[in-house]
Amino acid sequence: MIEYLIDGPLWYFSLAVFCIGVLWQLARILFAASKTDLSVARGSASSGALRNVFSRFIPHHEIAPRIRVQVIAGYMFHLGLFALLFFAAPHVLFLEQNLLGFGWTPMPHWAFIVASQFAFFGLLILWLRRMMNSVSRLISTLDDHVAAILTFVVMLTGCLALLKGFSELRLLHRFTVELLLIYFPFSCLMHTFTFIPSRAFTGAWFGRRGIDA
Amino acid sequence: MLLITLLLPQAASAAPPPQPKDFPQGVSAVSPGSDLWREIRQRDLPVEGITQVQGVDSGVLINAEGDRWARFRIENPVRYAPTVLLFVIAILVLFYALRGRVGIEGGLSGSMVKRFSDYERVVHWTLAIVFLFLALTGLILLLGRTLLIPLFGHHIFSLLASASKESHNLFGPIFLVSLIMMVVSFARRNIYEKGDLTWLLKGGGFIGKGHVSGGFFNMGEKSWYWMVILIGLVISISGLILVFPNFGQGRVIMAISHVVHVFGAIILIAVSIGHMYMGSIGTEGSMEAMKSGYVDINWVEAHHDRWARQVKENDKILSAEEFARLHGRKPESTDTATGQS
Repeated sequence: MIEYLIDGPLWYFSLAVFCIGVLWQLARILFAASKTDLSVARGSASSGALRNVFSRFIPHHEIAPRIRVQVIAGYMFHLGLFALLFFAAPHVLFLEQNLLGFGWTPMPHWAFIVASQFAFFGLLILWLRRMMNSVSRLISTLDDHVAAILTFVVMLTGCLALLKGFSELRLLHRFTVELLLIYFPFSCLMHTFTFIPSRAFTGAWFGRRGIDA
Repeated sequence: MLLITLLLPQAASAAPPPQPKDFPQGVSAVSPGSDLWREIRQRDLPVEGITQVQGVDSGVLINAEGDRWARFRIENPVRYAPTVLLFVIAILVLFYALRGRVGIEGGLSGSMVKRFSDYERVVHWTLAIVFLFLALTGLILLLGRTLLIPLFGHHIFSLLASASKESHNLFGPIFLVSLIMMVVSFARRNIYEKGDLTWLLKGGGFIGKGHVSGGFFNMGEKSWYWMVILIGLVISISGLILVFPNFGQGRVIMAISHVVHVFGAIILIAVSIGHMYMGSIGTEGSMEAMKSGYVDINWVEAHHDRWARQVKENDKILSAEEFARLHGRKPESTDTATGQS
């Protein structure tokens, strides 16, 4: 019964919530009313947007020494998670069979293990740093903690099910993924989709005013 | 809850299946190959033969050492590990019942001194969390067959063992990286110095009367630190030998590594229980060092007087109000601060 629920209705429900929620949030941002800028342009908005999207991948040299841990751990976590999500053999197979109808070459098992170690280690460091730094702790919301813990739990249940010998462990992993999909559009996890437009918007604003930032 | 729901039907079926009535005694048949295999195993000749198959131990038809290792595992670590761990817990419970919490003379003042940076606490908690996870999964693998099968049945144990084995192997290298970060962050301050031996001879204050002098770290803390580093490295290296059998190590080396890994882990888990006790409910004011990074000046004077002198000379003491403002807390009166840990 519970197997049917997790593999069937709950999966489709969470997927629908995820897709509709993400589209709704993006549309909300896109169609948010903003005043037309009537000032004379001092520079190109497009090049400013493009420059900002890429320049923000590297921290500004003045603050880089102070945020070295966050930057390294941040890259470890995000790159590890990206590799796991799109190049782990079970995920590629799942996407091919259940969603896309086509697949691609997955990464080898050793790379899968290294990617998950990067992701676990990075996320643990980032969350602990959030808890240990008094300023970070004060500005963190419940959403930040729930998002981090839920992501960690999803990765952990996936790691527990690595041997693929027990359907209970696979179901547990899938259930946590479904919880994450439902939570995703209404949380800070939306930064997955908004960080590029957000950088572009700020960069365009700077570029038009001729601000070199 | 979900895991329990998923596992309940399996727990119900954990009882042994009924024996068929037609064959109550079963059918016994002598294996035609037993004599041959017995001869190979027990003959007075080298166990390793010659084969065209290239690989470590590929010339060994039967690994007789494997039996010895399995017996040793069951008769030693599996038998004694629970006793050792329960003994440590019992000692701590007894100690707490007799001595209670080690307090600070005059109580907490509310004036705070910075002890650890954010990064140092991140390193400590990363190592602690990964260690606890590895300890739990490792104990499931070591003792699960004895302790969990009678409670939950074979299916649930094999499920837990599978999950534990995969996650234990995956988190092991993270422990090694955390350990290296621990070396880089804390090694310099943990080098033994003059006065440490006195601390040891007085049993950290438990033997004799009067205060025992200590620097930034006392002898007990330094010894625990080096124990974590050295035994941690031994556990990590032996673990890597077990996880990566593709580097040419044979079965004997892997069996030895396993024994070293298990004994090292049990020692570290046992002592870490003491460390957790001393760092939390055992000693007043200690937990704050790894929570906020600050400790009360009275705590510093009680446990680390040589460091207290340096702190006072450098005028690095924050008032209760400054500390509260820095951590977004409401300022507490001295009386309130005295009551908290």
